[in-house]
Amino acid sequence: MSLASRELPSVAATMAPPRSPADTPAGAISGPSWLNNLRAMLAKELLLEWRNLSRLGSVALFGAVTLVLFSFVAPPQAGARRMATAGFLVLALLLSSTLSLSESFRKETHHRALTGLLLVPVAPSAIFIAKAFANFFQLVLLAPVLIPVALVLFSVDLTATSGVSYPLLQLLAVWALASAGLAAPGTLYAAMTSDLRGRDVVLPLLFFPLVVPVLLAAVKATALVLSGDAMGQLGSWNLLLLIFAVVHGTLGTVLFGYAVEES
Amino acid sequence: MRGKFQWEHAVLLLALVLLTVGTYIGLAVAPPERHMGDVQRIMYVHVPTAWIAMLSLTVAFVAAIGSLWSGKHKWDAAVVGSTETGVVLTGLLLSQGMIWARATWGVWWDWDVRLTTSLVMFILFAGVLALRASVDSAERRASWSAVAIIVAYADVPLVYFCVRWWRSLHQVQSTPETVDAAMMLPLRINAFGMLFLATWFIVRRARLELAQRQVEETTLPERRSVEEVQHA
Amino acid sequence: MEPKLESSAVAIRGRGLGRRFGRRWALAHVDLEVARGEAVLIAGSNGSGKSTLLQLVAGLYQPTHGSVEVLGRPSHEQRRTVRRSLSLLAHDSYLYASLNARETVKLWAGLVGRPRSDAELAALLEEVDLADPSLGAVAGFSAGMRKRLSLLRVRLEEPQIVLLDEPFSALDSAGRLMVESWIRELRAAGRTLLIASHSIERSARLCDRGVVLDQGQIIWRGPASALAKRKMEPR
Repeated sequence: MSLASRELPSVAATMAPPRSPADTPAGAISGPSWLNNLRAMLAKELLLEWRNLSRLGSVALFGAVTLVLFSFVAPPQAGARRMATAGFLVLALLLSSTLSLSESFRKETHHRALTGLLLVPVAPSAIFIAKAFANFFQLVLLAPVLIPVALVLFSVDLTATSGVSYPLLQLLAVWALASAGLAAPGTLYAAMTSDLRGRDVVLPLLFFPLVVPVLLAAVKATALVLSGDAMGQLGSWNLLLLIFAVVHGTLGTVLFGYAVEES
Repeated sequence: MRGKFQWEHAVLLLALVLLTVGTYIGLAVAPPERHMGDVQRIMYVHVPTAWIAMLSLTVAFVAAIGSLWSGKHKWDAAVVGSTETGVVLTGLLLSQGMIWARATWGVWWDWDVRLTTSLVMFILFAGVLALRASVDSAERRASWSAVAIIVAYADVPLVYFCVRWWRSLHQVQSTPETVDAAMMLPLRINAFGMLFLATWFIVRRARLELAQRQVEETTLPERRSVEEVQHA
Repeated sequence: MEPKLESSAVAIRGRGLGRRFGRRWALAHVDLEVARGEAVLIAGSNGSGKSTLLQLVAGLYQPTHGSVEVLGRPSHEQRRTVRRSLSLLAHDSYLYASLNARETVKLWAGLVGRPRSDAELAALLEEVDLADPSLGAVAGFSAGMRKRLSLLRVRLEEPQIVLLDEPFSALDSAGRLMVESWIRELRAAGRTLLIASHSIERSARLCDRGVVLDQGQIIWRGPASALAKRKMEPR
């Protein structure tokens, strides 16, 4: 039985209806839109977050413990302690972020779920944005734990700040911007290091110098909120944080595909 | 590669000549600086190192984009060569900066904008090399280090402006900006000398990487004969 | 020689296809043409390159040598387009450990662009015997259960080209019968199939042609029925 005798064109006629009406002659089918993919990815992240809430609790506990350690080494005088609060608070956020970031890709690599997504195909940019947002959200959720702990340990009275309206809201705004600045490049780097031997060393090594601008800007901004902003500089530091997040968010969206595809 | 003339050696020769001449003029012939005296002469090495370090890392950035775009080995080899050279030069920059700080301000470290930025850059790009060392697959190594280089490079201006702004709130001595005409000549000579020296290093390292890849990459096995059956 | 076909009739074409991992050539000199609607069995022992071949067709790796095209497009370079036309059932289940079966299927249905109602999802799960909510999250699934769930993903994608890597492994006899009847359905619908399998007898009767891979190279080509006979003869 030779293949030449088979009637190939008629086979095409017996095929079941294609996935969508737009079936081009080459056989490629137009799938769901990028926006639909993004929505599906966000829903997936939310569901996975919900299932793994205990993990978030552990990270928050870790952050609180680092604050306790910092408070032991902070200067004893009240005035100096308050100045140091901003730095220690942001450091606690930074250290906690390495934990939550490195974990965020563990579930994707366990059964190679990420490869499965890419095979559907789901656009890598949609996967990245959803993941980065989920990581951002995780870091923001640390605020209700870490900020009160810091305020208590370092004897900071939020009502005593001068020149800053709604200090708590301002603090949360800085926290959110810093979290965005950490989540954007962190998600990209976590994707590359999650499977690596020595990942516990390589991720911080790559990540820490990269986010120095976030560290500096967030510490400055937080210090201004806590101690008073006589010269009105808070807005500029917040802007720097925003620019950082936007730059790295854009880079991550563009480069994520290269970071996760085999080749 | 044996027997084929490797152009970079000619470049090295040129580099050594230029650096010798430039350094001699800088150390012996050029006038001492008004305020700092002979200490300032370190600038004849420091400034070219800064320029060429930045240039090497820019080459790495461009090569990284090329590597992601084309996927060919030679771009990755260029990435390795220029990153390693850039990291070494940045390390040198740091040490020179610290010597300068010690000589002019009496302290080994000062949170000077350039010193701080070069420290961050050093760790940043050394981190990329650490990433490379932990990846076994050659293809992954290439695409991941390219991604890391692009992100790191984009970060440098952010780091610079952030640190600069962070420092501008305090009184800080800065390195002198204006340069006398008599000092420009050794500076330029050394700059070109460093440029050629860096080129030599980058090309040698890239060639080494390509050679290593060639050794690792075994050739296609021989095609075996296929048994063809027409009928069941 | 692979029979020459008109380009529009070719679903998969590999020419001198080769892939190296480190020092080892997983595939070399692979020439393969699969016509639309054809089913080809890829046989060979472990490590012979069957999985690698399917992965290359799906565009997961770039060929080190030669080329592979699906419906006329290079698999890796145009992987986004190519993947819309095919679906791969691989050794990895591509599952999320903390989701349960229903959530997994719902996720896939949404990603494929055909969100299903709860009733439809329940019916699908019923077909693979995973409809019981008390089964819990995927983390507690056996290999066979994961396999059955992965099958649903391929079903939902409704691809023109189906790549199956050991579709019968990890399944009990009921599961294997289910897969067999599913493959027959696909064939009746005119889909193109590439099946890599150890179970020669079971797979050969579902396929038109077969090739045998050994150390990454094709050493035998012929009708599937001849392949079944070949394996049964003493070597």
